[in-house]
Amino acid sequence: MSFGQATALVARREITERIRQRSFLVSSAVTLLIVAAAAVLPALLGGGPTTYDIGVVGSQPRAVAAAAGAAGSETDVKVDVKRLPDRAKAEKQVRDGDLDAALVAPRQVVSDDKLPDELAQALQLGARQVASGEALRKQGLSRAQARRALDPPPLRTRTLAGDSQDSDQRKFIALAAALLLYGQLLTYGLWVSTGVVEEKASRVVEILLATLSPRALMAGKIVGLGVLGAGQMLLVVVLGLALALATGSLEATGGDVAPVLLVLLWFPLGYALYASLYAAAGALVSRQEDLQSATTPLTVLIIASFFLSFSALNDPGGPVATAASLVPFSAPLVMPGRMVLGEASPAEVVAAVVLLVAATILLVRVGARVYSGAVLRTGKPVKLLEALRASRS
Amino acid sequence: MLELDALSRRYGDVVALDDLTFEVPTGQLFGFVGPNGAGKTTAMRIVLGVLEPDAGHVRWQGAEIDAGARRDFGYMPEERGLYPKMRVGDQLTYMARLHGVEAAEAQAAADRWIERLGLSERADTRVEELSLGNQQRVQLGVALVHEPSLLVLDEPFSGLDPGGVDVLAGVLAERAEDGVAVVFSSHQLELVERLCRSVAIVNDGRLVASGPVEELRRKHASRMLRVEVEGASEDWWSEVPGVAGAGDREGAGVLLELHEGADDQQVLAAAARAGRVRHFGRAEARLADIFREAISA
Repeated sequence: MSFGQATALVARREITERIRQRSFLVSSAVTLLIVAAAAVLPALLGGGPTTYDIGVVGSQPRAVAAAAGAAGSETDVKVDVKRLPDRAKAEKQVRDGDLDAALVAPRQVVSDDKLPDELAQALQLGARQVASGEALRKQGLSRAQARRALDPPPLRTRTLAGDSQDSDQRKFIALAAALLLYGQLLTYGLWVSTGVVEEKASRVVEILLATLSPRALMAGKIVGLGVLGAGQMLLVVVLGLALALATGSLEATGGDVAPVLLVLLWFPLGYALYASLYAAAGALVSRQEDLQSATTPLTVLIIASFFLSFSALNDPGGPVATAASLVPFSAPLVMPGRMVLGEASPAEVVAAVVLLVAATILLVRVGARVYSGAVLRTGKPVKLLEALRASRS
Repeated sequence: MLELDALSRRYGDVVALDDLTFEVPTGQLFGFVGPNGAGKTTAMRIVLGVLEPDAGHVRWQGAEIDAGARRDFGYMPEERGLYPKMRVGDQLTYMARLHGVEAAEAQAAADRWIERLGLSERADTRVEELSLGNQQRVQLGVALVHEPSLLVLDEPFSGLDPGGVDVLAGVLAERAEDGVAVVFSSHQLELVERLCRSVAIVNDGRLVASGPVEELRRKHASRMLRVEVEGASEDWWSEVPGVAGAGDREGAGVLLELHEGADDQQVLAAAARAGRVRHFGRAEARLADIFREAISA
């Protein structure tokens, strides 16, 4: 059995055992629900147009309602017009809640409760257009001329500070990316170390090491949980994007989606670095109770990087953000945000990746040595230097 | 045949193994005995490759042991170890896979051993929910599921009730009959004597005696006397030349152990001087006696 086969066997056990845990399924479901809610809520709360059912009695009101609906693209109001034979029927349907309001005469609107402001505005606009159109026709303009005068093409807009709508959206995406990466790195890193301690505390590690090399055991655990973490993240991103695009919370083009997908690539890079350190930290202790103090430095590093990524959103081109996006420990959390915001030059991205990969190669080796030197030592927590020395011999 | 050849290992200043050499033949049970801290666990860990020796070699069927050879070994460490949250069947299948057994065969082997160890009702139970006795059975299953040709068991009988001892002894004897080399450590010398054809006795990391139990007993028996003297003092034997010490009192008699080459007729004469000799004869040496002498030497 080669190193690769052994690693694959261990990785598969990690994935299947984790997926069968109820706590994993529940937490995954909760995460997906939160993401779905975050993707859909903007559309429900602020966003899209509201549709009103408007009853009309007579031809003049009908023209007003139609004009109000036509103007709706500017006012975020949509109007569904329903023709009714007489005033009494219209009022009854308003009272029953079948209609939001009814135009019962050229100058009269009835509603059950106070008329919503936006609807009142839209109807007023419709009435003005109908009245103006009639006035223009009386001045001898053709129907087409009157419409052109009343409905000029929309103004073209250009913002001097870039497209503001777009930059808000990108900021939101960058924040979501940082949050997601932060959560995955912290959770899956900790799972690696608790898994290592579980094997030490239950002493099963001695049986495992009679057939596997410590490196294969460590690599399998990291790869298995990493695949799971990446898969979960992919699911979250795809679901979030699909829902946000479908509901109109996000108005995205291909150019906006690409950086989001690039964010995913930062997970394996950052995870490889942190997970090997978490594995080494787990190997140093023999009991879950001792694990917290062993992993605190790593957890602090990740949290600090997250705060850096947060501040980088406000000043993505500044010196702090630039530096933090190059340092291997914070790069996986800071660089994706800067990329989404379009503030990272290709040279910086390449430099960050090269530095991170180099640091990862180095730290995976150190981590594997600490792990090999400490994983069979039970009892008191093993000192880092002792572990390194033990694996040298 | 498993050969331990001049193994040495230190932990800091503590010498755990000092030039330990002995051989374990295939097709029989082999007892590995010695007081606590004698180095038994260290030696077993080195055989399994969990620990590196400072010096010396371990050979299996004449060749230096590597990772491939170890895949054919079964191991039960002194500190039992299983995945607490894993189901019994999955656990056995996984362990078989780690030893290089193909997926389908691993599954079948797991089922077979679950049945053989009386765990059929528990195949889908998580290990942590099992009784201690059943956990021991799973542990044995883990050592056996890939049909190893060498079994190394560290204190396999400790913590078992008499029924469990019989089941385990039966399984091990059956493995040995199939040509497997079975080596286990134990403090229960009567049990070792009953089950094993050969033993190795270690003390302070050194081999003090090894070989077939029968041979050790025969060598020792010529130096064990059972003597019953009426009217003698309790320690009438203590000044007699050639007597190394006394073992357990047995009824009115005493078990005497002679120095190598001592003259038993001198002892008889001394006994006659001390009182009326009711019984004088060779005593059967037990492993416990051999062990005691080997350790005190």
